[in-house]
Amino acid sequence: MPRGPDNGTGETGSPKESPAGGAVPASFEDALLALVPGLRRYSHSLARSDADGEDLLQDCVETVLARRAQWRGVNLRSWAFTIMTNLYRNRHRAAVRRPTTVIEDAQDVAVPDQTGDPLERARIRAALESLSPENRTTLMLVVVEGYSYQETADILAIPIGTVMSRLSRARHQLAEQLAKDNIVALRRPK
Amino acid sequence: MSEARGIVGESDLHAYVDGQLDTDRRADVEAWLDAHPQDAERVAGWSVQNERLRDAFSADFASLPTDHGLLQPKRAASLRPLARLARPAIATAAALVLFVSGFAAGRLVPGGAHPPAMPAVTELASEARTAFLIYTSEVRHPVEVGADQQQHLAAWLGKRLDYRLHLPDLSSLGYGLVGGRLVPVGGKPGALLMYQNQEGRRLTMMIGRNDEHRETSFRLDTTGPVRTFYWIDGPIGYAVSAEIPAEQLRAVADECYRQMEAA
Repeated sequence: MPRGPDNGTGETGSPKESPAGGAVPASFEDALLALVPGLRRYSHSLARSDADGEDLLQDCVETVLARRAQWRGVNLRSWAFTIMTNLYRNRHRAAVRRPTTVIEDAQDVAVPDQTGDPLERARIRAALESLSPENRTTLMLVVVEGYSYQETADILAIPIGTVMSRLSRARHQLAEQLAKDNIVALRRPK
Repeated sequence: MSEARGIVGESDLHAYVDGQLDTDRRADVEAWLDAHPQDAERVAGWSVQNERLRDAFSADFASLPTDHGLLQPKRAASLRPLARLARPAIATAAALVLFVSGFAAGRLVPGGAHPPAMPAVTELASEARTAFLIYTSEVRHPVEVGADQQQHLAAWLGKRLDYRLHLPDLSSLGYGLVGGRLVPVGGKPGALLMYQNQEGRRLTMMIGRNDEHRETSFRLDTTGPVRTFYWIDGPIGYAVSAEIPAEQLRAVADECYRQMEAA
């Protein structure tokens, strides 16, 4: 299944919900709501700030709702992640054209309370900014979201070999950037 | 040794780190790593990287009580057009510069002078951002002296800064004083005040002294996720930091400046 959600037809699989178009509204929305924490994690790992991350999440949920008629009843999670990836790529392209977009997220969004180390997250985000959107999405899907290489390939609509080469580049670049920080991460005792 | 079991390629090493190998292949890779310290080192580095990424993004993003609102198109529609409209309008660098300088010149800075950023001034913004990140995440001890001892707080920090410190009242903007602490600013004693709104969102104001400064300037630093508005008023520098939209932060800075000037 190499195509994104808008292009392919006749995909087979084991639908968890009723077939496309026949989904009960409440269950679609409940299913989407259950995906929000994972989508939020992904959007925040792609975005430049938590505010941007919430904005991207909102865009994604809106898009999923707007396109629900196109959903074919198979794996809502992957479909939503595909949409998120595309939205992120669009934004990234737009941001490259006009780098001063910091005010665009000037909205009142609720950002989750965080318990992690904000300095560490800021550091990681700064290092991730050097990755291309292609390499960054691949790395996040595999490492943070825990998708298999095949699932990642499906979400990104690329061959698995490309997943591997992107992963390799992403790890290499990220290591270089983090090394510039001159901060050595210590392994936590398990 | 392990060589007989077949060659282990880079893809195997990635799959090993990502836990995507079956037991047999895992054993092959482990044997390979025993015999190839360079690969073992690479694999260890990737594992640490994985952990840092997961630590940075995994733990904190649970469900929010407000998530239901994400699904309501009405809420979305009412909130977002402004931002959408605003994007093309204010997104260019030129517009941003005009916006900031117009704001600064027209409303805040006498004479509208714009000296180039001095290293010490930029340093204030970076110190303010770091302090914001460190202290606002403290749950139990965000401040040294709480808002219940406001007079003492103002007197104490004012004495260390060697000027009459007025604690801005931001209640009109929905932010109440949490308290303050003594912090180093540019190598000298400085003050960090913290405010919080009803939703628990925090902002900080850093105040530092630099006797070499005489000019007045007003700037917005948006290099990171945390935004900082800062200005220099004679020997005293101020920096307001928060992770909120720029225009809200601007309103806070404006209010602080007005009150500081009046005091």
